[in-house]
Parts: sequence; C-alpha cells; structure tokens
Amino acid sequence: MTSAALFARTTSSARIRLRRRVLLCASCGLVALFALLSVALTTGEMGMPAGTALRALVGLGDPGDVLVVQQFRAPRAFAAIVAGAGLGVAGCVLQRLFRNPLASPDVMGVTGGASLGAVSLIAAGASQTLIPVGALAGGLLSALLLGVFAWRSGVAVTRLVLTGLAVQAGLAAAVNLLIVRFPAELAGSALQWTTGSVYGRTWTEVWGAGGAMVAALAVTLVLHRRLAVLDLGDDSAGALGLSTSAARLQLLFVAVVLASLAAALAGPVTFVALAVPHIVRFLTGPPTAVSLALAGLTGAVLLLASDLVVQHLLPVEGLPVGAVTATLGAPWLLVLMFRQSKPVHRSHA
Amino acid sequence: MTARPDTVNQLRTEALDLRYGDRLVVGGLDLTLPGGAVTAIVGPNACGKSTLLRGLSRLLSPAAGTVTLDGSDIHRMSAKTLALRLGLLPQQPVTPEAITVEALVRLGRYPHQRLLAPWSTADQRAVDDALERTGTTALRDQPVDRLSGGQRQRAWIALALAQDTELLLLDEPTTFLDLRHQLDVLDLVAALHAEAGRTVVMVLHDLGQAARYADHMVVLKDGRLAAAGAPADVLDAELVKSVFDVDCRVIPDPETGTPLVIPRGSAVRHSAATA
Repeated sequence: MTSAALFARTTSSARIRLRRRVLLCASCGLVALFALLSVALTTGEMGMPAGTALRALVGLGDPGDVLVVQQFRAPRAFAAIVAGAGLGVAGCVLQRLFRNPLASPDVMGVTGGASLGAVSLIAAGASQTLIPVGALAGGLLSALLLGVFAWRSGVAVTRLVLTGLAVQAGLAAAVNLLIVRFPAELAGSALQWTTGSVYGRTWTEVWGAGGAMVAALAVTLVLHRRLAVLDLGDDSAGALGLSTSAARLQLLFVAVVLASLAAALAGPVTFVALAVPHIVRFLTGPPTAVSLALAGLTGAVLLLASDLVVQHLLPVEGLPVGAVTATLGAPWLLVLMFRQSKPVHRSHA
Repeated sequence: MTARPDTVNQLRTEALDLRYGDRLVVGGLDLTLPGGAVTAIVGPNACGKSTLLRGLSRLLSPAAGTVTLDGSDIHRMSAKTLALRLGLLPQQPVTPEAITVEALVRLGRYPHQRLLAPWSTADQRAVDDALERTGTTALRDQPVDRLSGGQRQRAWIALALAQDTELLLLDEPTTFLDLRHQLDVLDLVAALHAEAGRTVVMVLHDLGQAARYADHMVVLKDGRLAAAGAPADVLDAELVKSVFDVDCRVIPDPETGTPLVIPRGSAVRHSAATA
C-alpha cells in the first residue's frame, strides 16, 4: 500500500513537472512574441517609444507615426506571425504523418506549387493583390496532384514522400523556366517572391490569410486525436475504428492549407516548418495537442525574429526574410543528418 | 458474470478468401469462433494466421466470402461500430516515440470519443481499470519504449482493454517474451476471460500453451482449415505430423491433463546423447 502510494506521488510529480515545463515554454514564447512585436513596431528609420507605437497602432497620436505603424510595420509583423505559426504547425503535422524528421512543405510540393502559382501571375502581369491568391491556389493544386499520384497506393507513407519529392522537383523546374524566360524587371520581383518575404504586406492580406489560418489551426487541433491514433501504425489505428487513408488525407490537407496560406503571405519561406517540430520536441518532449499549439507559437517567434534580423541587424538593405531562414536551414539540416546517423524513427509503410 | 450463450460475440467466416494482391493467403475458410470462449489459432509459419486475424478485424477486405459477427457482415459495419465490439493487438505494434504508458492506453478510447467531446470520467475510468488489470498502473508515466518486452506487451494489452470490447483478437501476444512473461500474458488473458467474460481469439505458436489456455482450437495449414474443436479432441500425433511435418507423441500434460506435444528425438541428436 505504501509503495503504491509512493508510486502515485512520484508519477503525479513527473506529470506536474512536464505540465510546468510546457507552461513555462508557453509563457516564455508569448513574452518573446510580444517583445519582438514591440521591437518590430518601434524600430526602423523612424524610431519611437513603445507607448507611442502602441497608440499609433490604434490610430492615436502623430499622423506620421500612425501611418508608419499602421500601414508598414504592423502588417509586416503580423504577416510574419501568421505565416510562422502556420509553417510551424504544418511542419509538426507533416513530420508526424510521414514519420520522417525531414518532412516539410518543401518536400511535399506545396512550396513549389505556391511559387509556380505566384510566379505565373507575376508573369501574366496580374495585380499585386492577386499574387497571394495565386500562391494559395498553387499550393492546394500541388497537393491535389500529389493526392492523385499517391492515391492508388492506398496512401502509403513512403510512396507519398517519393511522389512529393517528384512533384516538388517538377514544379521548381517550371518556376525556374518561367523566371529564365521573363523580362529582366519581372524576373527580379519573381526571384524576390520565391525567396520568401513579408515586405509590403497589406492589412487585407493579413486579415484574409490570418482568418483562414485561425480556422485551419482550429481544424488541426480538432484532428489531433486522429494524428495520435495514426501514430500507432495502420493496423492498430484501423482496429480502433479510424479509417486510416481518410484520416491521413484530411491531415495532409489541413497541413497543405496551413503551408499554402503561409506561402501566400510570406512566399516559400524555408526552414521554419522543418525546424519548429524539433525545437518543440526538444523543449517539451513527445508530441501532444498542447505541443501542437506551442509549435504555432514557436513558428511565429522564429519568423518574426528572422524578419527583424533582416530589417535591422543585417548591413544589406532589403533582403527577404527567406534569405535568413534559408541560411539558418542549411547548417540545421547538417546537424539533423549527423544526429540521424543512428536511426531514431522507425519507418513503417 | 452472467453466462452467455456461445452464439453471442460469435465470429463466423463463410467461404472466406483473403488475398494480398494476387496471392491467395486464406482460401475457402468456413469457421465458427465460439463466443465467450478463448480460441487459439495455430499453424505453421506463413499459414495465414495473422492474415486471418486481419480479415476478422476488418483490416483486410475478403476477396470472396463473408465475415460475420453475430450474423452481421463486419465489412458492412462502420469501422467505429466494429471497434466498439472488437479490439485487436497486432503482432508487432508500432510504439510512438517517447509515448508514456498512460498516453498509449488513452488512445484505446478513440472509438468511444466524439470529435469535439472532451475526455470523460468514463474514459478515465476505463483507462485506470485497464492499467490496473494489466498491472501497469505503476508504470503509467514511463515511456513505453524504455520498458522491458513483457511490460510493453502488457501496456499494449491495456490499450486493447481500454477500448472495452467484448471481443479481443491477439496476434502472437507471447512472441519475443521469455517463459515467465509468456505465462504472465496468458494468465492475464485467462483472467480477462474468466473475470470479465471477454471472448478472446489469439494466435499462438506453442501448441502446449494453446492447449492449456484455449477452450477452442483452430488449426490452419496453407490458408485452409486443418482442424477445429476442443484441444483434447483436435490435437493428436497424426495432426501434428500432417500440419507441422513433425513426428511426435502427444501425452497428457502432467499439470493440466491437456494434450502436450513431445517431438520424437531426431536420430542425430539421439545418437549424440547416448554416445
């Protein structure tokens, strides 16, 4: 009896420790997000105190300040937050779905599709406001393509990954072809777009993509239970009454929507979706619904921080945020590969 | 526990063909697995035992024939409806990385949960009960991938128990376990049957254990039914010879009186022993 009581106490303390850790990470993340946001709103060519920036955000104070904060800094910062959150959660879902620590929207053809959509519209000379819609449509279409190719196999994991790589390679080739054939002035803006940038985002874009993103994130959280059951492998999941093919497609679809919305806002930003799942696992251990939410927060912090580095710390003017994340991404991939030399994930088709 | 007629929770197959692609694995199988009993499915490697379990649990659609549970075709039921009545422990289940025992067992409640409904007290009670029955309560916060083979198997059985189904299908639950843990698992199965009235169908390799722990025995060879019935009626030297190609004597188990298979000594081993 006493030993049972002792066990009960140690187990509950283990659980409390984990809960505390998650809580700590969440509050640190939120504090970091607000700190970065206030930096984003107050710094720039026109520095101002945080109070002034906050008042300007709601339209009070000097009209010059209001213009700078409301029209330039805030939409850019919120675009980074929304896109970062979407990429973080999409990366978590994809890596679990594929049981592969290297899975990310880039591997799935989503970023390729978004780029092709956006670049074709740039080529057609469409107005700036249409380009995010083109990116969203391109991302979704590429997922559809992937689904059509992979469907016949009963959505087996390895086949999906290989098909995704093929789709991505084809789309990237198409993007390159378009850019090469462009007149020089369009090629510049197309290249800028395909690196990933939140420069010059408008409130319309932020509200549109942000609203859709919140809805997609809510759906992801609701579907989390299915993701957890899928982790058990197809036989156990099927025996628990989950129709595994349908569940996998649903999760794939929300991940693609999240990544496409992010691409519509910020272009094909690399590294965030790849790194966030690893960071969250490092911080809070095995994945849960809470850690999925935490992944959104981490992604937002990461992309906003990267964008601030681009704006204020780098000596070169006007670099896109994707350049920073890509630079971080290369060594990160190497580190991952070295750590993966002993297999951590068992893959089951 | 109230006694039920053995026609409740009764799985039947009629002219069942199961295929993987072009390969016929189970052919023309007519089988009745009595409800309220422990059934052991035995047979040589690759005779279709695991495939049969997948067919019985709706994971594999029949190429021909039917599988019925109490008269209704399981392939016409929704996956969730069947999952409320029948649970399966696969041969080599995939343990998610770093998952704790309790988190694993909680997944067993999946068929009972609605999309938006929160975790209920009934869910928690089922999980606590499953942990208790399998003796894994003290391990609930341990990561499953750090447990010993026997503990891990108990955790997986706890998941199937939390699913709270009248029927439980176990695919080689004792494989990779040492003798002590094999007996623990089989005793646990026997207790589930005796105390909780569960109907159990399990694939086993050891004929003696199958005879000890099962009320009903199904012998498969090359995807076809070789024999079925009470172990004492089914298991004899002739059957073992024809199904496993092993010369043996079948004697009463000195402990339980159930049939025990004693292979005849091979000439080489025998001469070595007497030399």
